[in-house]
Amino acid sequence: MIEEVFGKFREWIDNRHEYAKAWKERTGNRVVGYFCTYVPEEILYAADILPVRILGSHEPPTVTEPYIFAMYCHFCRDCLAQGLKGKFDYLDGIVEGQSCLHLRQAFNAWRLHIPIDYTYYIYVPHGVQTIRATPYLTQELSKFKKSLEKWTGKTITNQDLDKGIQILNRNRELMRKVSEYRKTNPPKLTGLEAMEMVLSSQMVDKEEHSKLLEQLLEELPNRKLERRGDVRLMIIGSEDDDRVFMKNVEDLGATFVIDEHCTGTRYFWDNVKEGQEDRLAAIASRYVMRVPCPSKDWPELTRLKHAVHLAQEFNVKGALIIQNKFCDPHGIEIPPLRDALAAVGVQTYPLEFDVTVPWGQFRTRVEAFLEQLTGLEELF
Amino acid sequence: MAEMMTAGVDVGAKFAKVVILKDGQMLARAKALVGFDVLKSASDVFETAVKDAGLSRGDIQRVVATGMGRNAVLQKPPINADESVSEVVADAAGAYQVVPTVKTVIDVGAEEGRGIKVEGGKVRDFVINERCAAGAGTFVEAMARALEVKVEDMGPLSLKSANTIPMNAQCCVFAESEVVSLIHSKISKEDIAKAIHDAIAGRISSMVLRVGVEKDVVLIGGCALNPGFLAPLEKELHTSIIVPEFPEFVSALGAAVIAANPAR
Amino acid sequence: MKAAIEVKEYPSEPLKCWEKAKNLRKDYYDDYLHAHEKGGLRWAGGAWSFSAIPAGLGEDVYCITGEPYGATVAFFKDFASKCHDATEAAGFPRTLCAYMRNYWGSILLDKYILTEGTVVDGYPAPDFIWQDHICCSHGKWYQLVKWLEKKRGKEVPMYSVDVSVGYPSDFSSEEDYKVSYIVEQLNDGINWLEKVTGRKYNDSLLCDAVWNEIKATSLWAEVCALNQAIPAPLDEKSMYSLYVMGTLMKHRPECVAFYETLRNEVKDRVERGVAAVSTERFRVITDTQPPWGFLKIFREMEKYGAVSVGSLYTFGLIGMWQYQPDGTWTPKLMPPRKPQTRDEALQAIVRWTMHKPEWAHFYEPELKTKMMESIVKQWKVNAVLLHYNRGCEGLSLHIAENRFGLIQAGIPVFPFEGNMGDERDFDLAGTMARLSAFFESMGLKKLRE
Repeated sequence: MIEEVFGKFREWIDNRHEYAKAWKERTGNRVVGYFCTYVPEEILYAADILPVRILGSHEPPTVTEPYIFAMYCHFCRDCLAQGLKGKFDYLDGIVEGQSCLHLRQAFNAWRLHIPIDYTYYIYVPHGVQTIRATPYLTQELSKFKKSLEKWTGKTITNQDLDKGIQILNRNRELMRKVSEYRKTNPPKLTGLEAMEMVLSSQMVDKEEHSKLLEQLLEELPNRKLERRGDVRLMIIGSEDDDRVFMKNVEDLGATFVIDEHCTGTRYFWDNVKEGQEDRLAAIASRYVMRVPCPSKDWPELTRLKHAVHLAQEFNVKGALIIQNKFCDPHGIEIPPLRDALAAVGVQTYPLEFDVTVPWGQFRTRVEAFLEQLTGLEELF
Repeated sequence: MAEMMTAGVDVGAKFAKVVILKDGQMLARAKALVGFDVLKSASDVFETAVKDAGLSRGDIQRVVATGMGRNAVLQKPPINADESVSEVVADAAGAYQVVPTVKTVIDVGAEEGRGIKVEGGKVRDFVINERCAAGAGTFVEAMARALEVKVEDMGPLSLKSANTIPMNAQCCVFAESEVVSLIHSKISKEDIAKAIHDAIAGRISSMVLRVGVEKDVVLIGGCALNPGFLAPLEKELHTSIIVPEFPEFVSALGAAVIAANPAR
Repeated sequence: MKAAIEVKEYPSEPLKCWEKAKNLRKDYYDDYLHAHEKGGLRWAGGAWSFSAIPAGLGEDVYCITGEPYGATVAFFKDFASKCHDATEAAGFPRTLCAYMRNYWGSILLDKYILTEGTVVDGYPAPDFIWQDHICCSHGKWYQLVKWLEKKRGKEVPMYSVDVSVGYPSDFSSEEDYKVSYIVEQLNDGINWLEKVTGRKYNDSLLCDAVWNEIKATSLWAEVCALNQAIPAPLDEKSMYSLYVMGTLMKHRPECVAFYETLRNEVKDRVERGVAAVSTERFRVITDTQPPWGFLKIFREMEKYGAVSVGSLYTFGLIGMWQYQPDGTWTPKLMPPRKPQTRDEALQAIVRWTMHKPEWAHFYEPELKTKMMESIVKQWKVNAVLLHYNRGCEGLSLHIAENRFGLIQAGIPVFPFEGNMGDERDFDLAGTMARLSAFFESMGLKKLRE
């Protein structure tokens, strides 16, 4: 039964476009693509719109040079390439929640060059550590809501917003509960399975996804996962959906027991506070106060503190830090992150990712790191 | 009207090419590797071409040089080139000479790749690969050594594969490290050869898309001789591509054409 | 034998205020270094930070702005190389913003470079950081300065203002909340400044500083507008040494005084037909910061009679501009009167600054393309040279779209890759070879070697 659930997550990921098209056909409703997890999906669900995250394909994005300078990260170019190649031609709209510079180029190039019915850019503030950010974002979300109402021709009521909030909160809460089972020794799910759980959530109707999570939670307590080796690893990065890499590392005798990146726990760690009169303010507060993307995390390094806390809570032995080549916000934090983890006894190893990764070279590095963690090098 | 004899000398990164033109018709051509003494290498090739044409140096009225090493032969005996032009301008003129309907020229040589938009033989826009590039001919040669295959066999070998293995097309050093990984993963030589050609085609087409693709598209330069390169390039650009006869000489031809039209 | 190329030669003479510019900049760097000796305060932040606000703390408040400092480091390539090595040894990726790496490198080496290239021991740590955040790196740059200073045993408090509210074409009342968001942060910032410095804030000094900044940035735009003349009285390479005052001290009265002097001198040059480059026959504009270690590229261009008359970067990094009803792009009109209260000053500086031309492309590339098209038309430009600058995510943002838009408008564009602050990423010979091919395709041959 558990294997069926994880199998379903994989099926959803591998056939994401077919799923979205079938969903459109079945419901008669709209599908909107988003680039960054700062887009408040609650409001889209409130408008009966299915939000799906636009992700890349890990093939060299050879069609994007006229639109994006190649020194911007592979992820933003890979996302745009999917649009240019027509993979997302079923989308009715695209929305971006302001975050890093790289991704907004994918949004703008899409807006300028790919025919699409609806586009919207939410000026999500970067100053999330100032008390002024939540009231500001509340105003922005009010504008966004009005724009959606104009597009769909349907008013979004407080009831609708409550529905959207509950759908998102439920899904996030269930994923957090599943994550608890990664604390056990050995963990009850692999890092790859956890990644596929999150990725599939970003691609399908969350109500369907939550049903599967509920089934998973019934079975997980009894699951005995056979693992070769017992090294408990963490993966820390920006956008990371390289499933092949996860599998390859976990085949070497380690398990990723927790992560801190935006196709991982960062996506679902925080909820919207329910029961507030001003729903938009409640949603705004969630997006301001959530575990931040480094592009918004200043002047204090709060994301770092959160990563250290996760490492301790999940009893991590070592962390792989995945730096997407050219990503400034995450790259800037690498030295303080490594220092902070070292201070609590967690060793780290940085790897630079691109659209494809040289597994041969990475294997050497990861194996050496694992040997270092298990103390094997002390034999010689 | 008196016969106009001109010569075009293309001193490239790897090869020097010479074309002798008589009233717009190619009389002779010659090509040889460029050694450390660039002037001597180019001069030897020039003399071979002149001899093959049954002429002497004095019969050539104007010589125009192009290519990376063009300044080495500018007003230096025995070539004494009268003028030098960039490869971009020479490519445009040469491609127009052989395919008058050309609108897009792609020139892929040993080190450099270029995409040129052409109108009536004149350059409208161009792009040249920056330093980060899955290179061109030299990359194929290096990978041929890694696969223990003759460089001239790389293209035909790649055509035997029907598989697609994505490879980093941003940088030839990154791509090379991935090839090493593929070899160690026991991927077949055919598949690796195809991956290499796909990577170069991806990189070149990515660059050419910056200037836009308009038919007729003409492929020239040494890499045009590689049958494994044309197919993935046509696939990436979604267009058929014309490869003229003697594609590696088109730049030199262009220089010779320019020599015949000093007023242009 | 090559025929000699006949070219008209304009009269040319050096700028009279050149020495003044050099000394102003030199003093600025010296003042920051010696600030404590005079009992003054030092702060660090970006060239875009609201520098008028800390001015309310007193007349003895000195700053070093990071981007010009990063550019100074880049100009002296040997020192830059040491800075890069130091930051990479500390574990920072080399693909990060080049100015930032140069700056951090200086701290890691514990050295400070002066304007003529002398490197002195002891990087002068700021007393506080006052920054704003628009690109991914802006706020984080100083977050790491704080982290590095902490490692050196110094606690440096930091405040950064979020300005990422978009680029309104005008401030309709619907967008007042965006202005308020920034004004409120500045108000909070003033309370913070009082707390961390222990000084009482002086609103009168604030109003003076805000008014100076408005004047200085309007004056610089006037200077740039004069370059529409043929021949251009200034060339861009020289303009870098003149606009830099606006990046360092736009809120200072000496900056206003200097730009007044400069504006008058440039006006005089236009009236007398004095050229920056006597053989001007081809006018270009560039974009993004130049490769600071290789400014000779401008002198190489002049060998073709090509002169860069400016760029949106040079005009709009500091200068403030607006569109007239007839569609012309002109220096921005100053507000009718000087602010008298704290709230008036903060409202004024935010409303003024939000129209900074270099902020437009952070949101919509087509806004910048439109401004560049206006510059091409009004400054009578023949071609655009686009520096695909690996060293700056912020200013290279959407550069491919700008290129696309300009080409669609029928404007010849020459793109070249490089790095404003990391000399390893710029190939001068390769770029000049490409540029000469470009000039050739435009019908330009070299006038001299």
